[in-house]
Amino acid sequence: MGGIRDAQKQATRERVLAAARELFVDIGYEAATIRMIADRAGVATGSVFTTFPSKIAILRAVMDERLERLFLELDAVVPHLRGSTVVRLCSVMAMHYDFEMRRPRLFTTYLAANFEWSDGEPLITFGRQPRLVGILRDILTAGVTGGDVRSDIDVNVFIDFLLAAYGFNYRLAAQEGLGAGELSDIMDRQIALMFSGIARNAAG
Amino acid sequence: MNPFPAALIATAAAPMTRRGLAKLRTREALLAAGKRLFTERGYEEATVRDIARAAGMSTGAVFANFTDKADLFQQVLSQDAWTLAETMRQVASLRDGCVRETLLTVLAAGYAFHLKQLPLLRAACAEGWRQDAAREVTSRDRMRQIISILEGVLRKAVANGEMRSDIDVDLAVDLIWHAYQSNYRLAIYDGFDLEGLTGRLERQLDLILPSLAHRQAA
Repeated sequence: MGGIRDAQKQATRERVLAAARELFVDIGYEAATIRMIADRAGVATGSVFTTFPSKIAILRAVMDERLERLFLELDAVVPHLRGSTVVRLCSVMAMHYDFEMRRPRLFTTYLAANFEWSDGEPLITFGRQPRLVGILRDILTAGVTGGDVRSDIDVNVFIDFLLAAYGFNYRLAAQEGLGAGELSDIMDRQIALMFSGIARNAAG
Repeated sequence: MNPFPAALIATAAAPMTRRGLAKLRTREALLAAGKRLFTERGYEEATVRDIARAAGMSTGAVFANFTDKADLFQQVLSQDAWTLAETMRQVASLRDGCVRETLLTVLAAGYAFHLKQLPLLRAACAEGWRQDAAREVTSRDRMRQIISILEGVLRKAVANGEMRSDIDVDLAVDLIWHAYQSNYRLAIYDGFDLEGLTGRLERQLDLILPSLAHRQAA
Protein backbone atom coordinates (compact mmCIF):
# COMPACT_ATOMS: atom_id res chain seq x y z
CA MET A 1 0.00 0.00 0.00
CA GLY A 2 1.14 3.53 -0.67
CA GLY A 3 2.92 5.03 2.30
CA ILE A 4 2.00 8.58 1.42
CA ARG A 5 -1.64 7.73 1.08
CA ASP A 6 -1.64 5.95 4.43
CA ALA A 7 0.04 8.91 6.08
CA GLN A 8 -2.56 11.24 4.59
CA LYS A 9 -5.34 9.00 5.76
CA GLN A 10 -3.88 8.94 9.24
CA ALA A 11 -3.55 12.73 9.26
CA THR A 12 -7.18 13.14 8.19
CA ARG A 13 -8.26 10.74 10.89
CA GLU A 14 -6.42 12.66 13.57
CA ARG A 15 -7.77 15.99 12.43
CA VAL A 16 -11.32 14.68 12.34
CA LEU A 17 -10.96 13.19 15.82
CA ALA A 18 -9.53 16.41 17.25
CA ALA A 19 -12.31 18.49 15.68
CA ALA A 20 -15.00 16.05 16.84
CA ARG A 21 -13.66 15.99 20.40
CA GLU A 22 -13.80 19.78 20.58
CA LEU A 23 -17.27 19.95 19.09
CA PHE A 24 -18.71 17.20 21.30
CA VAL A 25 -17.40 19.05 24.35
CA ASP A 26 -18.47 22.52 23.16
CA ILE A 27 -21.92 21.91 21.74
CA GLY A 28 -22.64 18.25 22.54
CA TYR A 29 -22.75 15.09 20.47
CA GLU A 30 -26.29 15.52 19.20
CA ALA A 31 -25.85 19.06 17.95
CA ALA A 32 -22.54 18.33 16.23
CA THR A 33 -23.08 17.38 12.59
CA ILE A 34 -20.64 15.58 10.30
CA ARG A 35 -20.44 18.75 8.25
CA MET A 36 -19.47 20.85 11.24
CA ILE A 37 -16.82 18.30 12.15
CA ALA A 38 -15.47 18.40 8.60
CA ASP A 39 -15.42 22.22 8.58
CA ARG A 40 -13.56 22.43 11.84
CA ALA A 41 -11.09 19.74 10.75
CA GLY A 42 -10.56 21.54 7.43
CA VAL A 43 -11.43 18.46 5.36
CA ALA A 44 -14.22 17.66 2.94
CA THR A 45 -17.40 16.14 4.35
CA GLY A 46 -16.81 13.15 2.09
CA SER A 47 -13.41 12.53 3.68
CA VAL A 48 -15.05 12.16 7.06
CA PHE A 49 -17.28 9.46 5.67
CA THR A 50 -14.42 7.58 4.05
CA THR A 51 -12.61 7.61 7.39
CA PHE A 52 -15.52 6.78 9.68
CA PRO A 53 -18.73 4.92 8.79
CA SER A 54 -20.95 7.00 11.12
CA LYS A 55 -21.03 9.74 13.71
CA ILE A 56 -21.28 7.15 16.46
CA ALA A 57 -18.09 5.55 15.13
CA ILE A 58 -16.37 8.92 15.55
CA LEU A 59 -17.62 9.14 19.13
CA ARG A 60 -16.35 5.63 19.76
CA ALA A 61 -12.90 6.55 18.41
CA VAL A 62 -12.81 9.78 20.44
CA MET A 63 -13.64 7.87 23.61
CA ASP A 64 -11.12 5.10 22.89
CA GLU A 65 -8.39 7.64 22.30
CA ARG A 66 -9.25 9.50 25.48
CA LEU A 67 -9.37 6.32 27.55
CA GLU A 68 -5.98 5.30 26.24
CA ARG A 69 -4.49 8.12 28.30
CA LEU A 70 -6.38 7.07 31.42
CA PHE A 71 -5.26 3.49 31.04
CA LEU A 72 -1.63 4.49 30.57
CA GLU A 73 -1.95 6.39 33.84
CA LEU A 74 -3.58 3.38 35.53
CA ASP A 75 -0.97 0.96 34.17
CA ALA A 76 1.70 3.10 35.76
CA VAL A 77 -0.06 3.55 39.11
CA VAL A 78 -2.00 0.33 39.84
CA PRO A 79 1.03 -1.95 40.41
CA HIS A 80 2.18 0.43 43.14
CA LEU A 81 -1.12 0.76 44.96
CA ARG A 82 -0.85 -0.17 48.62
CA GLY A 83 -3.38 -1.11 51.22
CA SER A 84 -6.37 -3.40 51.44
CA THR A 85 -8.44 -4.57 48.50
CA VAL A 86 -11.16 -2.02 49.34
CA VAL A 87 -8.66 0.83 49.35
CA ARG A 88 -7.25 -0.26 46.01
CA LEU A 89 -10.68 -0.57 44.41
CA CYS A 90 -11.55 2.90 45.69
CA SER A 91 -8.33 4.36 44.28
CA VAL A 92 -8.94 2.99 40.81
CA MET A 93 -12.48 4.35 40.72
CA ALA A 94 -11.41 7.73 42.10
CA MET A 95 -8.88 7.99 39.27
CA HIS A 96 -11.73 7.38 36.85
CA TYR A 97 -13.84 10.15 38.32
CA ASP A 98 -10.88 12.52 38.30
CA PHE A 99 -10.32 11.78 34.68
CA GLU A 100 -13.89 11.73 33.35
CA MET A 101 -15.14 14.70 35.36
CA ARG A 102 -12.74 16.91 33.44
CA ARG A 103 -15.14 16.39 30.55
CA PRO A 104 -18.39 15.17 32.15
CA ARG A 105 -20.51 16.06 29.18
CA LEU A 106 -18.48 13.91 26.83
CA PHE A 107 -18.83 10.95 29.12
CA THR A 108 -22.58 11.19 29.69
CA THR A 109 -23.03 11.73 25.95
CA TYR A 110 -21.23 8.48 25.49
CA LEU A 111 -23.49 6.75 27.98
CA ALA A 112 -26.57 8.10 26.18
CA ALA A 113 -25.22 6.87 22.85
CA ASN A 114 -24.94 3.42 24.40
CA PHE A 115 -28.68 3.11 24.09
CA GLU A 116 -29.09 4.65 20.64
CA TRP A 117 -31.11 2.78 18.10
CA SER A 118 -29.27 3.11 14.84
CA ASP A 119 -25.85 1.76 13.96
CA GLY A 120 -25.48 -1.98 14.25
CA GLU A 121 -22.08 -1.85 15.90
CA PRO A 122 -22.69 -1.23 19.57
CA LEU A 123 -20.46 0.89 21.74
CA ILE A 124 -18.77 -0.72 24.67
CA THR A 125 -21.42 -0.20 27.31
CA PHE A 126 -20.41 1.08 30.67
CA GLY A 127 -19.36 -1.74 32.90
CA ARG A 128 -17.85 -3.64 30.00
CA GLN A 129 -14.70 -1.71 29.33
CA PRO A 130 -12.35 -4.73 29.14
CA ARG A 131 -9.27 -3.01 30.49
CA LEU A 132 -11.06 -1.58 33.51
CA VAL A 133 -12.73 -4.94 34.16
CA GLY A 134 -9.28 -6.55 33.89
CA ILE A 135 -7.75 -4.16 36.42
CA LEU A 136 -10.57 -4.76 38.91
CA ARG A 137 -10.35 -8.50 38.39
CA ASP A 138 -6.61 -8.44 39.13
CA ILE A 139 -7.17 -6.49 42.34
CA LEU A 140 -9.85 -8.94 43.48
CA THR A 141 -7.70 -11.95 42.60
CA ALA A 142 -4.86 -10.43 44.60
CA GLY A 143 -7.36 -9.93 47.44
CA VAL A 144 -8.24 -13.62 47.40
CA THR A 145 -4.55 -14.55 47.50
CA GLY A 146 -3.85 -11.91 50.12
CA GLY A 147 -6.67 -13.22 52.28
CA ASP A 148 -9.13 -10.31 52.60
CA VAL A 149 -11.50 -11.56 49.87
CA ARG A 150 -13.40 -14.85 50.03
CA SER A 151 -12.37 -17.37 47.41
CA ASP A 152 -15.91 -18.45 46.49
CA ILE A 153 -17.14 -15.08 45.19
CA ASP A 154 -18.61 -14.45 41.75
CA VAL A 155 -16.12 -11.90 40.47
CA ASN A 156 -18.25 -10.96 37.46
CA VAL A 157 -21.35 -10.15 39.47
CA PHE A 158 -19.31 -8.06 41.88
CA ILE A 159 -17.52 -6.10 39.15
CA ASP A 160 -20.72 -5.55 37.22
CA PHE A 161 -22.43 -4.22 40.35
CA LEU A 162 -19.51 -1.97 41.20
CA LEU A 163 -19.42 -0.52 37.69
CA ALA A 164 -23.19 -0.03 37.68
CA ALA A 165 -22.84 2.15 40.77
CA TYR A 166 -19.87 3.89 39.20
CA GLY A 167 -21.87 4.74 36.08
CA PHE A 168 -25.07 5.78 37.80
CA ASN A 169 -23.22 8.12 40.12
CA TYR A 170 -22.70 10.35 37.08
CA ARG A 171 -26.44 10.92 37.10
CA LEU A 172 -26.08 12.15 40.63
CA ALA A 173 -23.31 14.43 39.48
CA ALA A 174 -25.62 15.88 36.84
CA GLN A 175 -28.62 16.21 39.14
CA GLU A 176 -26.85 17.66 42.12
CA GLY A 177 -23.86 19.34 40.58
CA LEU A 178 -21.30 17.14 42.30
CA GLY A 179 -17.61 17.13 41.45
CA ALA A 180 -15.07 14.34 41.12
CA GLY A 181 -14.13 14.48 44.81
CA GLU A 182 -17.70 14.15 46.02
CA LEU A 183 -18.40 11.33 43.59
CA SER A 184 -15.34 9.47 44.83
CA ASP A 185 -16.53 9.87 48.43
CA ILE A 186 -19.91 8.38 47.54
CA MET A 187 -18.26 5.59 45.58
CA ASP A 188 -15.97 4.81 48.55
CA ARG A 189 -19.00 4.22 50.77
CA GLN A 190 -20.73 2.16 48.11
CA ILE A 191 -17.65 0.01 47.59
CA ALA A 192 -17.35 -0.52 51.35
CA LEU A 193 -20.94 -1.77 51.52
CA MET A 194 -20.63 -4.02 48.46
CA PHE A 195 -17.32 -5.31 49.70
CA SER A 196 -18.97 -6.50 52.91
CA GLY A 197 -20.54 -9.17 50.71
CA ILE A 198 -17.23 -10.62 49.56
CA ALA A 199 -14.98 -9.84 52.52
CA ARG A 200 -13.38 -12.67 54.38
CA ASN A 201 -13.83 -11.89 58.00
CA ALA A 202 -12.51 -13.67 61.05
CA ALA A 203 -15.87 -15.35 61.66
CA GLY A 204 -16.25 -16.64 58.11
CA MET B 1 -46.73 18.90 33.31
CA ASN B 2 -49.00 16.83 35.52
CA PRO B 3 -47.71 13.28 35.79
CA PHE B 4 -50.98 11.81 36.98
CA PRO B 5 -53.33 9.90 34.73
CA ALA B 6 -56.43 11.67 33.56
CA ALA B 7 -58.71 9.35 35.50
CA LEU B 8 -57.23 10.58 38.72
CA ILE B 9 -57.42 14.24 37.80
CA ALA B 10 -61.03 13.74 36.80
CA THR B 11 -62.02 12.38 40.21
CA ALA B 12 -60.02 15.01 42.02
CA ALA B 13 -61.33 17.93 40.04
CA ALA B 14 -64.92 16.83 39.45
CA PRO B 15 -67.27 18.03 38.16
CA MET B 16 -65.57 18.38 34.78
CA THR B 17 -66.92 20.59 32.10
CA ARG B 18 -67.65 18.93 28.80
CA ARG B 19 -64.82 20.86 27.21
CA GLY B 20 -62.45 19.89 29.98
CA LEU B 21 -63.37 16.26 29.50
CA ALA B 22 -62.79 16.46 25.76
CA LYS B 23 -59.36 17.97 26.36
CA LEU B 24 -58.48 15.17 28.73
CA ARG B 25 -59.55 12.57 26.20
CA THR B 26 -57.41 14.23 23.55
CA ARG B 27 -54.47 14.21 25.90
CA GLU B 28 -55.01 10.57 26.78
CA ALA B 29 -55.28 9.59 23.13
CA LEU B 30 -52.06 11.46 22.31
CA LEU B 31 -50.22 9.88 25.23
CA ALA B 32 -51.38 6.42 24.15
CA ALA B 33 -50.39 7.00 20.52
CA GLY B 34 -47.09 8.49 21.62
CA LYS B 35 -46.32 5.54 23.81
CA ARG B 36 -47.11 3.11 21.02
CA LEU B 37 -44.94 4.88 18.42
CA PHE B 38 -42.03 5.52 20.81
CA THR B 39 -42.13 1.83 21.66
CA GLU B 40 -42.30 0.72 18.04
CA ARG B 41 -39.79 3.16 16.55
CA GLY B 42 -37.75 4.73 19.29
CA TYR B 43 -37.67 8.39 20.22
CA GLU B 44 -35.96 9.90 17.18
CA GLU B 45 -37.99 8.04 14.57
CA ALA B 46 -41.41 8.77 16.07
CA THR B 47 -42.39 12.17 14.70
CA VAL B 48 -45.00 14.49 16.17
CA ARG B 49 -46.90 14.26 12.90
CA ASP B 50 -47.04 10.47 13.01
CA ILE B 51 -48.11 10.50 16.64
CA ALA B 52 -50.91 12.97 15.86
CA ARG B 53 -52.03 10.89 12.91
CA ALA B 54 -51.99 7.68 14.95
CA ALA B 55 -54.24 9.37 17.50
CA GLY B 56 -56.51 10.58 14.70
CA MET B 57 -55.70 14.22 15.42
CA SER B 58 -53.94 17.20 13.97
CA THR B 59 -50.33 18.12 14.67
CA GLY B 60 -51.73 21.27 16.28
CA ALA B 61 -53.52 19.13 18.88
CA VAL B 62 -50.14 17.83 20.04
CA PHE B 63 -48.77 21.32 20.55
CA ALA B 64 -51.96 22.45 22.26
CA ASN B 65 -51.37 19.77 24.89
CA PHE B 66 -47.59 19.44 25.08
CA THR B 67 -44.72 21.88 24.74
CA ASP B 68 -42.92 19.67 22.22
CA LYS B 69 -42.06 16.07 21.45
CA ALA B 70 -39.66 15.90 24.38
CA ASP B 71 -42.46 17.00 26.70
CA LEU B 72 -44.84 14.39 25.30
CA PHE B 73 -42.18 11.72 25.73
CA GLN B 74 -41.56 12.78 29.33
CA GLN B 75 -45.30 12.67 30.03
CA VAL B 76 -45.51 9.15 28.61
CA LEU B 77 -42.67 8.07 30.90
CA SER B 78 -44.20 9.84 33.89
CA GLN B 79 -47.56 8.18 33.36
CA ASP B 80 -45.81 4.80 33.16
CA ALA B 81 -43.80 5.48 36.29
CA TRP B 82 -46.95 6.39 38.14
CA THR B 83 -48.67 3.16 37.07
CA LEU B 84 -45.64 1.09 37.99
CA ALA B 85 -45.16 2.81 41.35
CA GLU B 86 -48.80 2.06 42.17
CA THR B 87 -48.27 -1.64 41.35
CA MET B 88 -45.07 -1.74 43.38
CA ARG B 89 -46.72 -0.12 46.39
CA GLN B 90 -49.45 -2.74 46.30
CA VAL B 91 -46.93 -5.56 46.00
CA ALA B 92 -44.89 -4.11 48.87
CA SER B 93 -47.91 -3.82 51.15
CA LEU B 94 -49.01 -7.40 50.40
CA ARG B 95 -45.62 -8.89 51.24
CA ASP B 96 -45.04 -9.63 54.84
CA GLY B 97 -41.85 -11.59 54.35
CA CYS B 98 -38.27 -10.64 54.98
CA VAL B 99 -36.76 -7.55 53.41
CA ARG B 100 -34.92 -9.58 50.75
CA GLU B 101 -38.09 -11.24 49.51
CA THR B 102 -40.04 -8.00 49.56
CA LEU B 103 -37.40 -6.13 47.58
CA LEU B 104 -37.17 -8.96 45.06
CA THR B 105 -40.93 -9.07 44.55
CA VAL B 106 -41.28 -5.30 44.27
CA LEU B 107 -38.44 -4.94 41.79
CA ALA B 108 -39.47 -8.01 39.81
CA ALA B 109 -42.77 -6.19 39.24
CA GLY B 110 -40.68 -3.43 37.66
CA TYR B 111 -38.82 -5.87 35.44
CA ALA B 112 -42.06 -7.53 34.35
CA PHE B 113 -43.54 -4.12 33.51
CA HIS B 114 -40.60 -2.86 31.44
CA LEU B 115 -39.78 -6.16 29.72
CA LYS B 116 -43.13 -5.86 27.96
CA GLN B 117 -42.01 -2.58 26.36
CA LEU B 118 -38.26 -2.85 26.12
CA PRO B 119 -37.76 -0.47 23.15
CA LEU B 120 -39.50 2.31 25.11
CA LEU B 121 -37.20 1.65 28.03
CA ARG B 122 -34.21 1.77 25.75
CA ALA B 123 -35.31 5.14 24.39
CA ALA B 124 -35.83 6.34 27.96
CA CYS B 125 -32.33 5.19 28.91
CA ALA B 126 -30.79 7.09 26.02
CA GLU B 127 -32.79 10.20 26.87
CA GLY B 128 -31.96 9.83 30.52
CA TRP B 129 -28.26 10.18 29.89
CA ARG B 130 -28.68 13.27 27.75
CA GLN B 131 -28.13 16.21 29.92
CA ASP B 132 -30.75 18.81 30.15
CA ALA B 133 -31.52 20.48 33.44
CA ALA B 134 -35.31 20.43 33.08
CA ARG B 135 -35.40 16.83 31.96
CA GLU B 136 -33.10 15.78 34.77
CA VAL B 137 -35.56 17.22 37.26
CA THR B 138 -38.55 15.43 35.69
CA SER B 139 -36.68 12.16 35.55
CA ARG B 140 -35.50 12.56 39.12
CA ASP B 141 -39.09 13.10 40.29
CA ARG B 142 -40.10 9.98 38.42
CA MET B 143 -37.36 7.90 39.98
CA ARG B 144 -38.11 9.40 43.38
CA GLN B 145 -41.50 7.66 43.43
CA ILE B 146 -39.94 4.24 43.10
CA ILE B 147 -36.91 4.97 45.23
CA SER B 148 -39.20 6.03 48.07
CA ILE B 149 -40.91 2.63 47.94
CA LEU B 150 -37.53 0.92 48.41
CA GLU B 151 -36.78 3.32 51.22
CA GLY B 152 -40.05 2.38 52.89
CA VAL B 153 -39.20 -1.33 52.69
CA LEU B 154 -35.79 -0.78 54.32
CA ARG B 155 -37.11 1.56 57.02
CA LYS B 156 -39.76 -0.98 57.90
CA ALA B 157 -37.04 -3.63 58.23
CA VAL B 158 -35.12 -1.32 60.53
CA ALA B 159 -38.26 -0.64 62.57
CA ASN B 160 -39.12 -4.32 63.02
CA GLY B 161 -35.57 -5.19 63.96
CA GLU B 162 -34.66 -7.22 60.89
CA MET B 163 -32.02 -4.63 60.06
CA ARG B 164 -29.68 -2.73 62.30
CA SER B 165 -30.77 0.74 63.31
CA ASP B 166 -27.40 2.33 62.51
CA ILE B 167 -27.41 1.48 58.80
CA ASP B 168 -27.18 4.14 56.12
CA VAL B 169 -30.56 3.63 54.46
CA ASP B 170 -29.90 6.16 51.68
CA LEU B 171 -26.65 4.48 50.72
CA ALA B 172 -28.26 1.03 50.66
CA VAL B 173 -31.26 2.28 48.66
CA ASP B 174 -29.01 4.00 46.13
CA LEU B 175 -27.06 0.81 45.58
CA ILE B 176 -30.17 -1.34 45.24
CA TRP B 177 -31.58 1.20 42.79
CA HIS B 178 -28.34 1.20 40.75
CA ALA B 179 -28.31 -2.59 40.66
CA TYR B 180 -31.96 -2.76 39.62
CA GLN B 181 -31.57 -0.18 36.87
CA SER B 182 -28.25 -1.36 35.53
CA ASN B 183 -29.63 -4.86 35.01
CA TYR B 184 -31.79 -3.51 32.21
CA ARG B 185 -28.59 -3.52 30.16
CA LEU B 186 -28.72 -7.28 30.40
CA ALA B 187 -32.26 -7.24 29.04
CA ILE B 188 -31.42 -4.80 26.24
CA TYR B 189 -28.12 -6.30 25.09
CA ASP B 190 -28.11 -9.89 26.27
CA GLY B 191 -31.75 -10.90 26.05
CA PHE B 192 -32.19 -11.58 29.77
CA ASP B 193 -35.76 -12.48 30.68
CA LEU B 194 -37.62 -11.89 33.94
CA GLU B 195 -36.06 -14.89 35.60
CA GLY B 196 -32.56 -13.89 34.50
CA LEU B 197 -32.97 -10.33 35.73
CA THR B 198 -34.37 -11.26 39.14
CA GLY B 199 -31.70 -13.95 39.50
CA ARG B 200 -29.02 -11.34 38.95
CA LEU B 201 -30.69 -8.92 41.35
CA GLU B 202 -30.86 -11.64 43.97
CA ARG B 203 -27.10 -12.07 43.87
CA GLN B 204 -26.57 -8.32 44.04
CA LEU B 205 -28.83 -8.03 47.07
CA ASP B 206 -26.93 -10.88 48.69
CA LEU B 207 -23.76 -8.84 48.45
CA ILE B 208 -25.12 -5.96 50.50
CA LEU B 209 -28.09 -7.10 52.61
CA PRO B 210 -26.35 -9.56 54.98
CA SER B 211 -24.11 -6.87 56.43
CA LEU B 212 -27.15 -4.67 57.13
CA ALA B 213 -29.03 -7.41 58.94
CA HIS B 214 -29.26 -7.59 62.68
CA ARG B 215 -27.90 -11.07 62.87
CA GLN B 216 -25.43 -12.21 60.28
CA ALA B 217 -27.26 -14.97 58.46
CA ALA B 218 -25.06 -17.87 57.53
